[in-house]
Amino acid sequence: MIATLLVIPLTLLGMQQQDSIAARLAGRVTPDVATLVQQLSVAASARGLPVDPLIQKAIEGSAKGVPAERVATAVRWVAMQLDTAAAALREGGVVTDTLVIAAGEFAISAGLSNHDITALARTGASVAALTVGLRVAGTLAAMGVPSAENIGLISTKLRSGRPPGDLLLVPADVQSEIARGVTPAQAAAGLERAAAAQARHDPPPGRGNPPPHPPAPPHP
Amino acid sequence: MRPEPEADGEIVRAVLAGDRERYAQLVERYRDRYARYAARMLGSADAAEDAVQDAFVRAFDQLSQCKEPDKFVGWFFLILRNRCFAERRRSRTETSLEAAETVAAADRTEGGAETAERRRALQLALMALTPDQREVFVLKHVEGLSYGEIAERLSTSVPSLKMRMHRAYDKLREQLREHT
Amino acid sequence: MSEHEFHPLVKQLLDGDITLAALPPELRAEGEEALHLLAAVDRSPVQLPAVSRRVMRAVASRPARSVWRRVVEPRDVRLRIRPWLLAPALAIAAALILFLRPAPTAAPGSLITVRFVLVAPDAHEVSLAGTFNRWDAHATPLVRSGPTGVWTATLTLAAGQHQYAFVVDGVRWVPDPGAPAVDDGFGRRNSVLTL
Repeated sequence: MIATLLVIPLTLLGMQQQDSIAARLAGRVTPDVATLVQQLSVAASARGLPVDPLIQKAIEGSAKGVPAERVATAVRWVAMQLDTAAAALREGGVVTDTLVIAAGEFAISAGLSNHDITALARTGASVAALTVGLRVAGTLAAMGVPSAENIGLISTKLRSGRPPGDLLLVPADVQSEIARGVTPAQAAAGLERAAAAQARHDPPPGRGNPPPHPPAPPHP
Repeated sequence: MRPEPEADGEIVRAVLAGDRERYAQLVERYRDRYARYAARMLGSADAAEDAVQDAFVRAFDQLSQCKEPDKFVGWFFLILRNRCFAERRRSRTETSLEAAETVAAADRTEGGAETAERRRALQLALMALTPDQREVFVLKHVEGLSYGEIAERLSTSVPSLKMRMHRAYDKLREQLREHT
Repeated sequence: MSEHEFHPLVKQLLDGDITLAALPPELRAEGEEALHLLAAVDRSPVQLPAVSRRVMRAVASRPARSVWRRVVEPRDVRLRIRPWLLAPALAIAAALILFLRPAPTAAPGSLITVRFVLVAPDAHEVSLAGTFNRWDAHATPLVRSGPTGVWTATLTLAAGQHQYAFVVDGVRWVPDPGAPAVDDGFGRRNSVLTL
């Protein structure tokens, strides 16, 4: 559920960080939006959430000439999605950092659910790999791949233990398959089968890869 | 002989297959069903219009993520709900202006000015609740759902809903007393 | 119990679990006050006729779902946009988008050069706005080459997640129909670039 906005004095946020947020917003958003973003950033920071997506959304809306109130709604929506992403990741046992949470938020904005995020988290991949995995999953969702095939493919790739850079090739692979005339779902399913088959032939992961980390303690 | 109206699942599948014009049927079907919920949650019909519109567009964009096309309306409701929760009114004054405008129309219907005034006062009081409290009140007393139905829709328990609602009752009473 | 709190029995009345008659006499007045409160609930239906038209207009402007589908009609889509990774001697077929693969690393901080192309013969100016340039519609103009109306810009971006759109003639924000797109939260779409 939505976390109530914590009322935290601005002084708790490092003065430097506060200044840099103000500097990024200066001249680009209305004073009301700037104040809202500062407030949401304080609360987000206190919860270990990234602040950058909030700032980006505010600047984007203002640049697009959107009325301040809709910008505010959109920024709050991002804050909500960050919370959802963080909770879903922790539910999957991930010790979160701001990059992976931002990647989760992107995946949610592309249409994936918190359950999808948790499923990817439960593959036990490293945080770095999971970050890429979430970005790619979000990209696939944006390409029209339904969640089941999407999560299936990315999970298989994450479990294979191959370097995260390999994940970056997935959207192009899916696109090539679609250009051959199959649906996005079929493309992803086909690639998953291929990846699973390859995994059976590859050396087992763990050679040179970090072991999956243990589940994080329950989030308060 | 009239053909049977098409099931939601059929329309969703058709839209996903590329026939996006059919989406209009879903919009027509459910456009007003939750309009009232959105209006009571957000305090005005204008805000409701934005929210319902945004929710339908978002639902279209994410249609391939709808796991049970035959239960489109429940899935759509959650999207609309999220959209309503993301919105906040700027200030009480502006809310009151809008609520007053909305209810001005009610002036001309049954009950007249006194009913309109009481409705306005209650809507204002509702805006002072937390969104969770307002929602359970709206779903039960405006939309007429039972606690069991609300619990199923929001994936929560009846006891926790009652607790929320009972706090809402007290807060509404306080608000109405202070502002009448 | 604070002075504003309803008695628990009155709350049951409000919930519809008991009737007014079931309340003890000393609670009748409070019960009636509670029922008055409920009577003020506005249950009038709300109609939003304009929503249909606006939603379908937005729906019509969405790019085709399988965005990578070959678009073969020649007089097609005036705006045909293709980001691709810069590499020597890369031939791009008319509607196919190829992501070049120089052993992609996901290492944050690594830099990748990307060329953005827009075919827009009727445009007077085209620029690129996105997360990498603070969505500034004036910061990254594309350069037109010749009468065919091919606009190009080449940027070096950090590995990571980027969103962008083209701005045509300073006013029209257009996502890249050749790239995956996500809802921007403002009723439009942003294109996605995952490097």
